Amino acid sequence: MKHAILGVAFAAALAVPAFAQDYTIMAPANPGGGWDGTARAMQEVLQAEGIAPSVEVVNVPGAGGTVGLAQFVADSAGDPTKLIVGGYVMVGAILTNASPVTLKDVTPIARLTGDTEAIVVPAASDIQTLEQLVEKMKADPGSVSWAGGSAGGTDHILVGLLAKAAGVDPTKINYVAFSGGGEAMAAILGNQVTAGVSSVGEFAEQVKAGTMRLLAVSSAERLPGIEAPTIKEAGFDVVVENWRMVAAAPGLTPEQVAKISGDIEKLNSSEGWTKMLADKGWTNTYLAGDAFAAQLDADIAATETVLRDIGLVK
Amino acid sequence: MSEGFSPERRPRRAAFVIAAGLAGLAALILVDAAGLKQDGGYAGVGPADVPRIVAYGLLGLAVMTVVSGLRGDLPRPPRQAPAPVLWILGGLVAQLALLHVVGFVISGALLFGMTARGFGQRPLWKAVAVGLVLSLVIYGVFDRLLKLNLPGGPLELLIFRG
Amino acid sequence: MESFSLLMQGLSTALDPVILLYALIGVTLGTAVGVLPGIGPALTVALLLPVTYGLDPAGSLIMFAGIYYGGMYGGSTTSILLNTPGESASIVTAIEGNQMARQGRGGPALATAAIGSFVAGLIATLLLAFLAPQVVKLALTLGPREYFALMVLAFVTVSATFGDSSLRGLTSLFIGLALACVGIDGLTGAARLTYGVPQLMDGIETTTLAVALFAIGEALAVAAIREPPDGMHRVRGSVKMTGEDWRRSWKAWLRGTFIGFPIGSMPAGGADVASFLSYAAERKLTKHPEEFGKGAIEGVAGPEAANNAAAAGTLVPLLTLGLPTTATAAIMLAGFQQFGLQPGPLLFVMNAELVWGLIASLLIANVMLVVLNLPLIGLWIKLLSIPRPWLYGGILLFATLGTIGVNASPVELGMLILFGVMGYGMRLYGYPVAPVVVGLILGPMAEQQLRRALAIAQGDWTTLVSTPVSATLLGISAVFLVVPMLMRLRGRGQVLSQVAGDAD
Repeated sequence: MKHAILGVAFAAALAVPAFAQDYTIMAPANPGGGWDGTARAMQEVLQAEGIAPSVEVVNVPGAGGTVGLAQFVADSAGDPTKLIVGGYVMVGAILTNASPVTLKDVTPIARLTGDTEAIVVPAASDIQTLEQLVEKMKADPGSVSWAGGSAGGTDHILVGLLAKAAGVDPTKINYVAFSGGGEAMAAILGNQVTAGVSSVGEFAEQVKAGTMRLLAVSSAERLPGIEAPTIKEAGFDVVVENWRMVAAAPGLTPEQVAKISGDIEKLNSSEGWTKMLADKGWTNTYLAGDAFAAQLDADIAATETVLRDIGLVK
Repeated sequence: MSEGFSPERRPRRAAFVIAAGLAGLAALILVDAAGLKQDGGYAGVGPADVPRIVAYGLLGLAVMTVVSGLRGDLPRPPRQAPAPVLWILGGLVAQLALLHVVGFVISGALLFGMTARGFGQRPLWKAVAVGLVLSLVIYGVFDRLLKLNLPGGPLELLIFRG
Repeated sequence: MESFSLLMQGLSTALDPVILLYALIGVTLGTAVGVLPGIGPALTVALLLPVTYGLDPAGSLIMFAGIYYGGMYGGSTTSILLNTPGESASIVTAIEGNQMARQGRGGPALATAAIGSFVAGLIATLLLAFLAPQVVKLALTLGPREYFALMVLAFVTVSATFGDSSLRGLTSLFIGLALACVGIDGLTGAARLTYGVPQLMDGIETTTLAVALFAIGEALAVAAIREPPDGMHRVRGSVKMTGEDWRRSWKAWLRGTFIGFPIGSMPAGGADVASFLSYAAERKLTKHPEEFGKGAIEGVAGPEAANNAAAAGTLVPLLTLGLPTTATAAIMLAGFQQFGLQPGPLLFVMNAELVWGLIASLLIANVMLVVLNLPLIGLWIKLLSIPRPWLYGGILLFATLGTIGVNASPVELGMLILFGVMGYGMRLYGYPVAPVVVGLILGPMAEQQLRRALAIAQGDWTTLVSTPVSATLLGISAVFLVVPMLMRLRGRGQVLSQVAGDAD
């Protein structure tokens, strides 16, 4: 291993003077969002753990990350110091916006964190289980209003998948898109909508305080410390994970990719990262290499199908 | 641009140009709205409906602008000097075109220098030199110290990373 | 009175000299970065958050509070002196504030903004401390239909107050509404007026439009005057507020606070909406209507108090529910998480000490801000005595710096130039520029809330008046809209010529 790192460092010596290399991480979103948070968390830990001496974060907001992605591919090709943060939402945004640049144009390094989605109802609702909610939707899809994030995002996809699995026409769901998590949550707390979808983490405090009822989570297995069945257990074959990843520029040599993967692995196994994830309430879902590449392909295919079903992609 | 000495309450050509602009904007919106999905879902109000209302509003305002133009109701701008305006716009365009080529510092210096020139500062090179110092300081503080990412070019590389 | 003793305890820890030094650093940094046009409090906090990393919780909390309030405050300075609003919540400040600066009354304008921000920050922080749980309960009863009604009220009251010609004011507003249509429709994901340009997908950035219309448009208009009036911005008289200024300001501060705080607490409110409503209210209630548009001090005092009170109001849903309702609040959330605070319904119970520490920090940052800024006013005013070539060169450099730092795409810079030229043209023919930005901000809010309300009610329009709050708000809007028309009808009998007519 030491040998490999020395070799890589030697190969990169022309471009980079030191062993440790600087990074510029692009967060393809405005400050304050999940991707920006991930990028800044990486920045902090990479620097604090001495993995990279200096890390910069660049925000390029727009269109679900596709503006940043396009700029990243155009400007960074062949540059081993450039990284981009992205995630599941980007998969959907690339399809709905018919983006000419896709995730095939970058070099995925690793999946870092993931959020499980949760389905909740207001505490005052008479709906007790996911089955009851789905029954109501089957009887009259319009009468079940869903509050969630932007149209075509993870929350919307989950509702579409659930409707499909339950035999309800996905184009008939009454999905009400809110901008930002806060407003959707306010609508659920204020009993304005029938049900809500967002990440488990965002609802956790409310559920603990008893202001919302957690009906189901979207993971494959039950989550530790959370008393709610998975959607699968309720009899609907739906598993959704809102993951976040880091990718490198296109056109890198295998040595350069190995160096970056090594740094990200170091990041992942560092104590600082573990503590950071705990502070932020993110789950570590680290997955690298071929396993991640295969997962990415599967997600892209599945997302395309559901977006067609909902009617957002033609 | 102004019509000079004409007395009040004469029809104003500028008003007709403005009205045409508003009508053009309305037409753009209506054409775009026609190409959108008309489906409003459960709301009944779709993505094309609000733009349409705005477009009709603009058309109404265009008509009223014509009426007020016929009555001569539009302030008369004082005589304009085109040269300073062109200097400033030139500076902005130069910055836009050169930002990603020569970096923030040089393109910023050009913008500063040409704007100052537009306001009567001569010679141009002196104004650009002052701009160079100022944008170097800004780059140092915001990019280096505060990590606000500003596009770098050869000069930034030479000074801050050499 | 348990909260009271907890607050006192928080204050006593925060009065440590080292902690005070942190507060000073935070406030200074926050103000310095917040002053830049286009860089609002959200980005300010995001940029400076790493500075607080590594300090102990008490130290980083106070520094953080300083940066937040400093960033909020910074925007008003450039609005007043240079007619270049730093962010959307200080746009209306530019209207009266810059007029005051032109008459040499920049000092009092800055002072009333600073003291108004202080008064509003103080009252709103205390309201936050003692009433947060009750306020949030009320705020949660509001849904899309109430927000739609609120936006309608904002439209009606605000559009009635702009400019000296209702035709030109309305035209400006509709240009803003047209620009608001650009981008992905929030409810269906349909791309409107984007022509395949990805940078247009998220719509036109408010700060880009504001910086272009105000800063660049102004620079072009000033440069194009052949013989500039001498000493346009020269300071005349004292930089201090006169007794008359105080008399006219204090009520506006209080009104601004009580408009700003509740609107900021609403999950879909926002400091910009609060500042618009405050401006409209001051204009309606003033005893000096003839001064509005020409430098009325109430028009600075009210909105500046309102936007600061709204900033504190944003903390209500954030601290009590963990709801980040603005970009700034989302970043604040990241700041809390930095030291293991998870805002939510249990925060006040589980981390009482830290919460009260934070509230105490906000109070201290607020005091620090006014202490720091009042003496600095004299210095800020000197900005105006910089020779015009250097001054405007600097304004344009800083104006573009904000846009470049946030989003350095050629499309964004191109829009800056395009809207700058538009701002110049509008100035030539007496079209007010502020309503364009107001339309851009309120348009999408009103549209989305309307469609959300209708979707929830499955297309039943009566839902819009089905709750007392929404019915009342719409009723008030209707009164505001109809009464002036009736008065005009009775007065002159010619509606069209009045609507189309000029003030001359």
